[in-house]
Amino acid sequence: MVDLTSSTSLDQLGLSVGTPSIRSVGPLAFGPEGILFVADNVGASIFAIDPGDTGTGEPQDVNLENLDASLASYLGCSRDDVAIRDMAVHPASSNVYLSVMRGSGDDAIPVIIRISADGSIGDAPLENIPHSQYVITDAADEDDPRLVTRMQLRTVTVTDMSYVDGLLLVAGTSNEEFTSTLRRIPFPFNGEAKSNSLEIFHVSHGKYETAAPIRAFVPYQGNTSILASYTCTPVVQFSLSDFDDNKHVMGKTVAELGSHNHPIDLISYQHDGSEYLLVCNDRHPVFKVACKDIDVQGPLTEPDDSLDVSPADPVTPGVGVPRQLLPHPGVKRMANLNGSGVLMLHQDDDGAHLRTYATASL
Amino acid sequence: MSSDRRLHLEWAAHQGRDCLQITGWTETELRELAGQDTGRLSRRLALYPSDALDGPKNRPAVPTVSGRFDVDRDRVSFVPRFPFADGVSYSLLIDRPGGDCTETWDIQRPARTSAPAAKVMAIYPTAEVIPLNLLRVYVHFSHPMSEGWAARAISVHREDTGESLENVFLPPEPELWDAERRRLTMLLDPGRIKRGLVPNLEWGYPLVEGTTVSIVIDPAFRDATGQPLVAAERHTFRVGRDLRTRVDLSHWRVIAPQAGSTTPLSVDFDRPLDHGLLLHTLSIRDAMGNTLEGSGEIGPHERSWSFTPAHPWASGQHQLAVEPRLEDVAGNTPARVFDRDISRAEDNPPANAPDRVPFFCDAPAH
Repeated sequence: MVDLTSSTSLDQLGLSVGTPSIRSVGPLAFGPEGILFVADNVGASIFAIDPGDTGTGEPQDVNLENLDASLASYLGCSRDDVAIRDMAVHPASSNVYLSVMRGSGDDAIPVIIRISADGSIGDAPLENIPHSQYVITDAADEDDPRLVTRMQLRTVTVTDMSYVDGLLLVAGTSNEEFTSTLRRIPFPFNGEAKSNSLEIFHVSHGKYETAAPIRAFVPYQGNTSILASYTCTPVVQFSLSDFDDNKHVMGKTVAELGSHNHPIDLISYQHDGSEYLLVCNDRHPVFKVACKDIDVQGPLTEPDDSLDVSPADPVTPGVGVPRQLLPHPGVKRMANLNGSGVLMLHQDDDGAHLRTYATASL
Repeated sequence: MSSDRRLHLEWAAHQGRDCLQITGWTETELRELAGQDTGRLSRRLALYPSDALDGPKNRPAVPTVSGRFDVDRDRVSFVPRFPFADGVSYSLLIDRPGGDCTETWDIQRPARTSAPAAKVMAIYPTAEVIPLNLLRVYVHFSHPMSEGWAARAISVHREDTGESLENVFLPPEPELWDAERRRLTMLLDPGRIKRGLVPNLEWGYPLVEGTTVSIVIDPAFRDATGQPLVAAERHTFRVGRDLRTRVDLSHWRVIAPQAGSTTPLSVDFDRPLDHGLLLHTLSIRDAMGNTLEGSGEIGPHERSWSFTPAHPWASGQHQLAVEPRLEDVAGNTPARVFDRDISRAEDNPPANAPDRVPFFCDAPAH
């Protein structure tokens, strides 16, 4: 951990002290030196901020029932006015960070909540902090003489981010064209940073090739592979080495998730020397995949509806990568608790709950 | 603390920020509270949203409202870390020094009142017949809107049966808005549109071919000030067959204007195209390849486009330039079919996707 109060360190990371003009908070990801990346979809920007978290220590289990009620009280509003957008764990302190919007419309306030190991709730200051900004909007549009309207209609909504070896990988959905682009943004954002986007296709059942926005993704195997989920539900693997030269990358469809089900979040974790991936969904419970099974899995060539069996039964489908459904319905976000366990943000009729699961229990 | 004194709670300003001001303390209380440090003060006084309390005398298990108490002469002020929320009731809990009893005082923040003003201005596509594999719908509002209502306030119905069609749209999380929060993009569930995927095989298309359907925007949709819409809006169209071919520029019909005039160029497309993309994917180039200044206008049902130049047309060759990302209403572009059947050679992406439509402006006859 470097001392981010020194001007040399700030320069190295391209940060300067001031108040970032954050209009909304969405996806979160931690980068080098405890830098927190915050996607601001209203402001069409990604901010790198120093959350001022100098703590270190072994990760502790964090369990908070009725988290939304606690957040509403802390933020001084009703539970309806609390929208939890994403969750990330600080790599050194193991504090849990949530991006939360309090209220909506003109009154909406972006907040970065920090939950300590003892369950106490605070928030990371967003004023007079070291930060830098990357603008993700298509700035060229604004001066375009062809525009029928000067209104800035075209936007990119960031759905997931991950920091890998000097690059911030950003998945986003355009509000116009239906494409699958993965932006690669060098960090530090030094003013000359250029986004280098990849188009990523996938083939369904050996028959139809298509592109679709990536909804969520997770690097794994020492950042050599990525497992991504698309808005049209397939789970697709591709290698980061394909990124080097290609503009078009073909992903390998390894699983489908079943009807009316959409992936929300993916994480990886290690247990007993093996790596596993978890995918949480809006309808189905969490499912688990062993990374070694993805390596040997050929591309999915036949429709696979095996996930339509009872969620209570573990599933090893005949086609597609073997998956195990875990008894965790209603999981909206997940995070690896720095190796010791997995945090899940559950949503049920009573509200939102933060629960930690030991990797051995998954 | 005295039990017969009556505290008075009111909204006030403290150092330029909204605060809650509490007066009516006894001299003894004020002396005692003034002597407390911030930590002790927050153990004696606590503010909660009233709906967080599970009983009038018990401190709830949730954190207090973030902020700080200040004691100044005859009053105690609470300055919140985040502004008080409109319409929310707050409860001040005061512990007795021994901690054996708690008294509770309530105050409500006024709700914002204003008349509904926002309307739905347009819903695209506007074609009377749209393809079965329609991919995207745009809803334009007159005012900036609040997020969080798209899933609740937009529905699709069959006109013949009145039945509500379920799971038509991809769950709008996150919602796709323009920068001003006035145009909402709703994607129809691509898993149900793409051939061969499980959702398509098991549930079929989101729409039903041959039926007439309506998209209904419920007035509950909130604008950015929290007000509902002035009225519901309904947009009806017929569902035709699916559309699975590349946008074909060779079938576009360009009516070239005469040189020397500022008569608009007009282009008829081979099919309805995506309204959002039409706003900025077409341009006009002169013989040198320079982009002409002027203004474009989208025609009825998004089937045509016209361009009025800022300066009179020059005589000679021109080109209508088409960005390859231009889509029709089913997501097909000039470069590729939305979901390409690998076995159909005619669907293979061309080596060079067509992106120009040439036209010639004749000099006026003399």
